[in-house]
Amino acid sequence: MLDDRSFEQFAQSFAQGALTDRMLFDARTAQWASPFGLIGLLTAAQAVHEMGGPAPVFTVPTADEVKRYWAKAGFFAHAARLFEIHGRVPRLKPAEHSDVLLDVTPVRASEDVHSVVGKIQEGAARILHGELGLESKATMGFAMALSEACQNIVEHAGTSGWVAVHAYNFRRRLGRRVVVIAVSDSGIGFRRSLEATQSRRFGDRWGDGAALEAAVIQNVSRFRDPGRGQGIAGIKRYLSRWEGKLSIRSGTARIAIVPPWDDDEPMTEHLAPFPGAQVQIVIPAQEGTAG
Amino acid sequence: MRQTIRVERLLRESVETPYCDLVTRSTGRAVRTSIQQALAEARTAVALLDFSEVGLVDLSCADEIVAKLLMDPPGETFLVLQGLREEQLEAIEHVLEHHDLAALVCESGGGSARPVGRVSPDLRTAFFTLQEIGSGTTALVAERTGWSVSRTADLLSALLRLRLILSDGTIYSVPATA
Repeated sequence: MLDDRSFEQFAQSFAQGALTDRMLFDARTAQWASPFGLIGLLTAAQAVHEMGGPAPVFTVPTADEVKRYWAKAGFFAHAARLFEIHGRVPRLKPAEHSDVLLDVTPVRASEDVHSVVGKIQEGAARILHGELGLESKATMGFAMALSEACQNIVEHAGTSGWVAVHAYNFRRRLGRRVVVIAVSDSGIGFRRSLEATQSRRFGDRWGDGAALEAAVIQNVSRFRDPGRGQGIAGIKRYLSRWEGKLSIRSGTARIAIVPPWDDDEPMTEHLAPFPGAQVQIVIPAQEGTAG
Repeated sequence: MRQTIRVERLLRESVETPYCDLVTRSTGRAVRTSIQQALAEARTAVALLDFSEVGLVDLSCADEIVAKLLMDPPGETFLVLQGLREEQLEAIEHVLEHHDLAALVCESGGGSARPVGRVSPDLRTAFFTLQEIGSGTTALVAERTGWSVSRTADLLSALLRLRLILSDGTIYSVPATA
């Protein structure tokens, strides 16, 4: 299983060798991957590509339902350009009314954010209001959170990235259905983005963790424009209303705004280095809602 | 004179998108520039920014359009926001509060305006009192509210600074939106 927690094992393996080494991403025994896991794999391969390394070998999951889900999520369509794929990939048409609210979608520019936000709204209303029991006005806030998360790539990453949105049952940790937004890029990360304006203020403490603290807790941006830094603040405000969770991993640190239903660490440092930034937003079904 | 600017139309002219959402900073900058051009050409006393055909408004776009227009006001033109849905207004209020700004909002098709953003209860009372009497001096607003003249003068000056009311130096009034 590859999700935001088991992702650390993957990141550790990925950090073992140089990006210019030939790598093998062995997914044969994979059982499931969250949107965070899927776009994390693509981000890793993109980082290799951007460093001029050889395309990693990717072995397709053996289990039929797993590879069908990954195909439905749009993973293989993009993986084909970044990996040398070994194994048979199912050809599927995108399903309507699927749990994949937004298949893996590249985010390169402002137009992509328009497209993502435009495409998501009907499906988001169906899931958030129809299945998760959120008020219908929650859909707009959801699309706003998605837009702001994607804009972090356009505004700060210095390269392109990926976004995916899925709904699924979060049995082990929550026992409820959730909608998950995952956004990832292989860019400069929060530390480098904020270094010029924030490192002196933090002194010896400066690093990936301090950079995440500045951006997520203090709503600081690298731009001197006083209107900047509202995106993450807006996401936090939306999530606090619906008991949602925000986590952001960048470089060697990970920060989380943890709702009462989760036991995640608010800050984890000294992780294996991983390129860029990875954002996950989880919105749970409201209590008492079937799912 | 009053001018109505349909924001959705400017969005479609500024950005190539099949959607009608105000998202991203670059979109906000483009739409703001179009609004500034329209305001400069018309030079009216009151401009209604009509959001009624707009979909989502995200914080970045709200900041680029509404906050920046209010921070760098277009000459003597009063800006009034109209046709906002609850969720759109929420995003706009978020950025107004972030910048310590306020704006006038009214329903589609005109009607009476109300202030949103960083507006204290006393400022609201002063505003609505003035709106009720149409126009008046500091003394008249003080009489209606039961406040001292100096307190009323301070509040009316604050409303004037926030560009929520008009004044010719003696008489204060709320901009006509209908």
